Amino acid sequence: MPDWRRVKDRLFTAATVALALLAVAPLFHILATVVVRGGSVILRGGVSFFTDPPAYPGSGELGGVGPALLGTLWLGLVTSLIGVPLALLTAIYIVEYREGRLARVARVFTSSLLEVPTVLIGMLVFLVVVVPMGRYSLAAGSIALAIVMLPYTVSYVERALEGVPRTYREAGYSIGMTRAQVVFQVVMGIASRGVAAGILIGVAKVLSETAPLLFTIGSARGSYPTGPQSLLEPGDALPLLIFQFAQTPYSNWQDLAWGAALLLTLIILAIFTLLRLLFREVKL
Amino acid sequence: MEPVEVKVSDLNVWIGGSHILKGVSMKAPPGAVTAVMGPSGSGKSTLIRVINRLIDLIPGARVEGKVLLGSLDALRADPYEVRRRTGMVFQEPNPFPHMTIYDNVAIGPRIHGLARGEELDRLVEWALKMAHLWDEVKDRLRDYPHQLSGGQKQRLSLARALALKPRVLLLDEPTANIDPVSTVKIERSIMEYAKTTMATVIIVTHTPQQAARISDHILFIYQGRVVEYGPTREVVLHPRHDLTRKFLGGEV
Ligand SMILES: Nc1ncnc2c1ncn2[C@@H]1O[C@H](COP(=O)(O)OP(=O)(O)O)[C@@H](O)[C@H]1O
Ligand SMILES: [Mg+2]
Repeated sequence: MPDWRRVKDRLFTAATVALALLAVAPLFHILATVVVRGGSVILRGGVSFFTDPPAYPGSGELGGVGPALLGTLWLGLVTSLIGVPLALLTAIYIVEYREGRLARVARVFTSSLLEVPTVLIGMLVFLVVVVPMGRYSLAAGSIALAIVMLPYTVSYVERALEGVPRTYREAGYSIGMTRAQVVFQVVMGIASRGVAAGILIGVAKVLSETAPLLFTIGSARGSYPTGPQSLLEPGDALPLLIFQFAQTPYSNWQDLAWGAALLLTLIILAIFTLLRLLFREVKL
Repeated sequence: MEPVEVKVSDLNVWIGGSHILKGVSMKAPPGAVTAVMGPSGSGKSTLIRVINRLIDLIPGARVEGKVLLGSLDALRADPYEVRRRTGMVFQEPNPFPHMTIYDNVAIGPRIHGLARGEELDRLVEWALKMAHLWDEVKDRLRDYPHQLSGGQKQRLSLARALALKPRVLLLDEPTANIDPVSTVKIERSIMEYAKTTMATVIIVTHTPQQAARISDHILFIYQGRVVEYGPTREVVLHPRHDLTRKFLGGEV
């Protein structure tokens, strides 16, 4: 009797482990493929992989993903400049000013934004920014990405702020702090790791987004080899390059797509490593 | 700094429709410790949160009556001004976990621009000594409070409040979850602070023994009403009301 139970327990455990392996196996397969194929491309290209524009399609030469890498870095920076303050203020408003009538509206709005397909956000920015400006631009792409980033970062930061026990807010008020001082010196300080995580997760999320860029940045391959001279010009980005080059019949462009995939993965990995290193948990 | 008497008259508080404090009047003189006692849920915390206007943070709370801190009309005054002149220690120790021990004490004077540099150092030292914590932390002022024991954390919370040299010090069951050694130290510093600076101290306490040890006056509240107020000795030895007697005997 007890033996039968133990057998059942073992079987169940084995089945669980097998299913879990089955679920993560594709992930490992993708990662391994990216590392192996992308790695060999980057090694072949060397430094010029990071700096040069792509070689002519089908030319047999490789070139690099320089303009797309630069574009992604710019997009990351400008998107953060727009999106991070917006997301922080929204989350603070939702959590710390919850009695305000607009706070509930803001909460509903940002969480519904999560449900909107990102390609629609790209189209919206196309209509509102690109058409009036008359051209694709990195700026338009950044605006689209900032909108995509908003609900992710807001919901992370919201949770981080809500996790701060009320007693610390009361302690702040009890020594005469203003609400702003309580929010910025007490709550944000205690929640700093969660806030930073929200920001970096948002940035990592948008760096790998393709859809919002489709209608907004243009691919700017025409402006190679120099690349865009300002944010108001079209530009390229790694995810867009991967998306477009992977579909071409040219093996040198397919190779660039693999290399770019590994590069993008490494950038995102670096962001999460940074998060772990820079922000320690605040122990209560 | 001039002594400040706390005077509450005909105070009524409603929270979300229920009547919590029902016509409470009380006094707490400077240079003395006034203990507030009563069964849990009788409105003790609410009373001291009215005095420093933390009640403003509770949505749906309504307050009527008068609260005077010396000549300051606390219910009419700017709440930030009221809180800056009053200090509070809560039931759960709550030093700011993301600030060092030093910064926890320095934060009050800093945000109000009261001291800096060596003057601030001296103020921090004074507050930590007043809270009987200095000897235990003087070599690790740059550490974070998470390594401190609960009792040490509570004394740090006390030092944070004391650094503003509040004329009125409010404590809400500060030793309810604290080890006996820290409890004794906290009780001593409360009494010393009241006597040496002529501050007005109001402490909510759950044990009659503590009230007897440290207070000069006892206010006994039951279901939102004041049942008895008087010198500690009298209330403890000759309670006038049945309810007080039962409470002191552990029956309520
Ligand atoms: N924030 C609040 N929201 C709703 N009711 C509250 C709140 N704070 C206190 N009360 C109610 O007020 C009454 C008195 O509470 P309190 O002042 O904390 O009592 P005590 O400190 O004597 O235990 C209780 O019935 C409690 O439920
Ligand atoms: Mg209480």
